[in-house]
This record gives sequence, structure tokens and C-alpha cells, in this order.
Amino acid sequence: MGRILIVDDTMFMRTLLKNILFSGGHDIVGEAADGVEALARYQELKPDLVTMDIVMPKVNGIEALKAIKAADPSAKIIMCTAVGQEQMVKLAVKSGAKGYIVKPFQAPKVLEEVKNVLSA
Amino acid sequence: MKYQYGEGDEAQMKSVPAKVEHEGRWVPTKVGIGEDRFRIDAPLKEEIPYKTVVNLEEKKNQIIVTAGADGTATYRIASVEKVLSVLKKFIITQASAYRLNAFFMSPAVRGGVLIHDARWEKGTIAVMKTGIWFVSQEKQVCIPLEDVAGIELTSREIQEKDLNVVKIDHLSENDVVTSFVLCPMTTLQVLYNFLKEATHDTEVSEEIDPLTGQVAMLVYSGMDSSSIENMLKLSHRDLDAIYEKLLDMRLAEVLYVRKEVQLTAKGVRYISESVKSQNE
Repeated sequence: MGRILIVDDTMFMRTLLKNILFSGGHDIVGEAADGVEALARYQELKPDLVTMDIVMPKVNGIEALKAIKAADPSAKIIMCTAVGQEQMVKLAVKSGAKGYIVKPFQAPKVLEEVKNVLSA
Repeated sequence: MKYQYGEGDEAQMKSVPAKVEHEGRWVPTKVGIGEDRFRIDAPLKEEIPYKTVVNLEEKKNQIIVTAGADGTATYRIASVEKVLSVLKKFIITQASAYRLNAFFMSPAVRGGVLIHDARWEKGTIAVMKTGIWFVSQEKQVCIPLEDVAGIELTSREIQEKDLNVVKIDHLSENDVVTSFVLCPMTTLQVLYNFLKEATHDTEVSEEIDPLTGQVAMLVYSGMDSSSIENMLKLSHRDLDAIYEKLLDMRLAEVLYVRKEVQLTAKGVRYISESVKSQNE
């Protein structure tokens, strides 16, 4: 089970992910609503895994991913975005994302992906 | 048009054990699989040319074959996966159906998670009455039309080119799955139009308020009622009212009815006495 930081600009999605991950026995160590906050929270909390929304205000998820990877190359980050933005996958993977989930998602599949990334 | 039993070239038919539904029960028999037809031995004693098949459905370890111009002859056949797989391949590639050569990727996304090793496969797509079939060397995938949750004509980057694809969201083994079809634009448009028309009934035309939308999203994600109540700070009664809306709009169906109970005087007496006896 892992210590997870959830990054998403909508409280609804953060709460949903929090519930899903919590039901899978994970510990939600923090939340962030934009890329700037994500980097700060990552450095402060040193989570085992980050779920990162792509479309966010201030600094988007791809930029936040790059910043976190620059600070900690071993960081495990799963990108999370809406249907229709699958084109971002390539960019995210190139930038070091370990997994990718597309909204809307189903709890068991998200937990499976989190487990895979944590054990990789 | 029915063919005479025994009309097919016996030597070219591979006979395999199977079960068929006959007069409401499953009976063991043999099924002969030939190049252009299959045969069902006694008690049915029938030969069915693949080209007369108008529909093919799949349910666990059985297939349902509908044949004849009027679609009245239905055969339910159960057998091992290998046998059914061979039979399905012959039927799909020769049945009376709209067929096209295409590339497909199925599944590409399952439950919102990208399938890491998903790849494009070259094969045939057959559009049948109740579903569409993808067949390649390695795979046979059926998407029943009643399970199609969304169709979109969109573009996708393939080998560094933006190409038009049909994206199909559908239910599969309780998961929501996304599959893609890639073929020339004119064919793609035909497929898209067909699917759009065939799944017209599931199009959402009603206005859905944000709270009902959020509840629908949480149900989709697999949250149970008490989690939804906690997350959205809703009372049991409020959530029931929203569920009613979803049911009215046919966006949801009742899985089971949970009972909320309160103790009667007898129940209260039982609890009081059991606590008393624990303290003694």
C-alpha cells in the first residue's frame, strides 16, 4: 500500500480519487489543486505515488510532472485526464509518467494501475 | 433456404462433439464444420451454409446462430472454446452481413486505464443484427449493440499521423471499455452512421443537473450508496430521489434494493436482554 498525493483542480475528482484509493488501503498524504502546489506538496510530503491531472490552472500537469521528475527522477506519477486527450499520453510518457488513467474511470481498474506502478 | 442434411461434402467436414439446444434442453451431438457450411447431427440433422447466417451472438461457452432470410431458424450450440472459435471465424467471414477490412484495437482502454500492450490488429469487421464482430488471426471480439455506450468519429495519432478512427465505448464483463476501428474514411463513415443509428435509443437527450451528473459519475466509478451519500453530503432520501431521476431517464437500472430497518419493541427487548445477560 502506498502514500499518495492527489493533484486535480476539481474538488469532486480529488474526493472521488481519495475514496477509491482509500478503499484500496492506500494512505492519502495530501492534495494539490494546481501544478505549483503539486511540486511544493511533493517536496514536503515525499509520497510514494502522485496522481496528476493534466489540465489545471497556473502550471499544467505535464509541466508539474517535469518539475517533479527534475527534482526527484525516481518519482512515480500516474497522469489523469479526460477522454479525448489521449494524445497527451505520448508527451506524458516521454516526460516520465509511469501510468495513465482516463476520466471517467472505474475504481477497480484505477487500483490495479496504482498497484502496478507502485510495485514496478 | 435450407439445405438437405448430408448435402455437404462429408470428407471436407471436420466433425466435433458439441451440445445443441433441442426442444428446450441441451443434447449432445456432433457438429461438422466445413469450408462453406456447418452441419448439426441428430437430433437436429441440419446443414447450414454460412452465407445464410444473418446473426451470430455469443454467451459464455455457447453461440447462437440465426439463419435463413426470415431469420427464424435459431441454433444454440455449446462446445469448447477452440471449436466455437473455428465455427465463429467461418460464420463471421461468410455470413450475410456488412463486412469490411479494417484495423482495430480492442480493448484500448479498460475502466479508464490505458492498456499498455494494446496494438492495432488487421482483420475483418462484420456488422450483424445484434452486434459487431472483430476478427483477426488471434482475436474474436463481439460488441453487442445493446452494450454500446458511445460512438465517436475522431482522430488519433498513429505512426505520427493524425488518422480518422471510430471510437466505441462499450460494456464488457462489467467494465467500460474503449475500442478503436481504423479504415478508409468512406467505410469509417458508413460504420459510424450504422452504429449511430443502431444505438439511437441510448442517446442522452435530457438535460441533467450537475448534482445528478455527479451521482452518475460516482456510480460509474463504482461507489456504493453510502460512499456517495458521504462524498456529496446527501441524505438517504435525497440520494434515492436522484436515483429515481436516473432510473426515469434510463441512465441506470436497479441492481438490488437495500432495506433500511428500525427495531420493533420485540427487537429492542431482545437487545436490552442480551446486553443485560452480557453484564451478568
